[in-house]
Amino acid sequence: MFEKVLIANRGEIALRVARACRELGINSVAVYSTADAESAVVRFADEAVHIGPPAAGRSYLHIPSLIGAAQKTGADAIHPGYGFLSEDPYFAEICTDEGITFIGPRPEVMEKVGDKATARDLMSKAGLPLLPGTVDPVNTVDDARDIADDIGYPVIIKAVAGGGGRGMTVVNNREELPNEYRSTRATAQAVFKDSNVYIERYLATSRHTEIQLVCDTQGSGVYFGERDCSVQRRHQKLIEEAPSVHLTPEMRKDIGEKAVAGATSIGYSGAGTMEFLLDLDGNLYFMEMNARIQVEHPVSEAITNCDLIQEQIRVAAGEPLSVAQDDVVFTGHAVECRINAEDPDNNFAPTAGRLETYVPPGGPWTRVDSHCYPGWMISPFYDSLIAKLIVWAPDRERAIDRMQRALSEFEISGKGVKTTIPFHQRILQNEQFRSGDVTTDFVEQFMAEEKQLAAAS
Amino acid sequence: MSDADTQPNPDEDFVRSVWEEARDLIKRLEGSTVQRFSVEAAGTKIEIERAMASGGAAPMATVAAPAAAAAAAPAAEGEPELDGRHPVVAPLVGTFYRAPQPGAKPFVEEGDVVDEGQTVAIVEAMKLMNHVKTDQAGKVSEILCSDGDWVEFEQPIMYLDPLGD
Repeated sequence: MFEKVLIANRGEIALRVARACRELGINSVAVYSTADAESAVVRFADEAVHIGPPAAGRSYLHIPSLIGAAQKTGADAIHPGYGFLSEDPYFAEICTDEGITFIGPRPEVMEKVGDKATARDLMSKAGLPLLPGTVDPVNTVDDARDIADDIGYPVIIKAVAGGGGRGMTVVNNREELPNEYRSTRATAQAVFKDSNVYIERYLATSRHTEIQLVCDTQGSGVYFGERDCSVQRRHQKLIEEAPSVHLTPEMRKDIGEKAVAGATSIGYSGAGTMEFLLDLDGNLYFMEMNARIQVEHPVSEAITNCDLIQEQIRVAAGEPLSVAQDDVVFTGHAVECRINAEDPDNNFAPTAGRLETYVPPGGPWTRVDSHCYPGWMISPFYDSLIAKLIVWAPDRERAIDRMQRALSEFEISGKGVKTTIPFHQRILQNEQFRSGDVTTDFVEQFMAEEKQLAAAS
Repeated sequence: MSDADTQPNPDEDFVRSVWEEARDLIKRLEGSTVQRFSVEAAGTKIEIERAMASGGAAPMATVAAPAAAAAAAPAAEGEPELDGRHPVVAPLVGTFYRAPQPGAKPFVEEGDVVDEGQTVAIVEAMKLMNHVKTDQAGKVSEILCSDGDWVEFEQPIMYLDPLGD
């Protein structure tokens, strides 16, 4: 096992990883930019290194400073968290070259997974179901038209290097295709410096369903069930839950086994998530694989009683998974709300500022993953996540009730700071959400209805 | 920049680009005593409130003449000047060296008078030699690190005494 792990991240996930290290008896090293000098993880970790100014390009994304910090402190591994350098094969490779273990898949595997076209191709070969469409990049307008005709409209054009909802365009008919094809390529080139795009069937309504995996370096893998993340706004997840009410135990076992087989077929190791779309007929289609721990991992922890970060660290150290598939028993229902410093009434604009009040909820089966405390400055330099609130209950209805109770306890205030709590509370009261019949266009419709009601009154 | 799960929305791109501009502005304001300013463009308004370095050295005036302020402001955040001494700080995390190569003459010795912009040390990060340059003239009063020491970002590596007029 490692003696000292450097956490190349900030915010709640840095603290989450440091906590896992402490429980495993591993020393932790926090790194911080000037803006994060007073952060919770700097206080909590065994050591801390000041790595740069607030701009991430010169701190959390600056590889020489992170490697330097690891060498200064003698860390034998680096945990990248999520975002920043967590899915950068180049960073993983440099860590390896410097004799530091990167806690994640091997660089060459990460590279394959990070290229969506390659990942789809490999997973298709491993037996995972794909949406009708291309696996290879589409290089000409004529090819694009032929392929779209084969698939049938509407189709979606996606940047191979895209992510986070950027670099994708829905095309409804043949006439729109040439222009949309060209503009998506141009956007892809501008944003991702890679103009390659692929085309697939567009499902107007579907549910975002993802499978959590951890694989060890012995070639074993375990799935920790699925999460439904359909409550999202412009591809930003707001509420995540596990399990999905739309999967039967048989479906869960089938897709879980396929996902593990797919991951192990490419030599994947570490924690990872396979994203699927679930259509209204119950078909799952593989979309992409995320080669990192995800923001919403706690809901899977809540229904399986497994610590995914600890498993991730364990397998990175070369140890086998501490659980076999049969040990993973799914119990009850968990819901997570992402509490962001954003103004839901102003197009979710980020609201940076200093927190005057910060009182998190407590009580049974209520978990808060956060780096915030009264006096903490929510910096405009980084993402707006204040806290992840996770509750568990024996069933979905009671989990939602518990979440409402917990949200009502959460006190956050500060000059200029607005949060997404009121928005979450309104969604949790919504009949359709409570029924479980939620697709990825739910939030958009919900907001349109709210607007209509407001206009009518 | 952050988690793919929390990546910016398309219309946040604009806000982000305004931010880039604001960041450049903030950088240019380093060392000045401007505490608050706002930038407004196409309906997006960004208000900046800067925390001043703690300690008595931080001037309280909202706006001051830039020339006077530059001389008075400490170079490193949270590192107030000690007895009027001015710290020279590490530009990044790395290994400190006093000389351009092993066995060579050190860039400076205690007691040397240095110009603004003069190289006084090297911080090595992943085989790249980063020159540490002074941001003002002065007399080297104390060198705080030895060859091979690891330094952090903005860690003081030497102190300068200001030159008399």
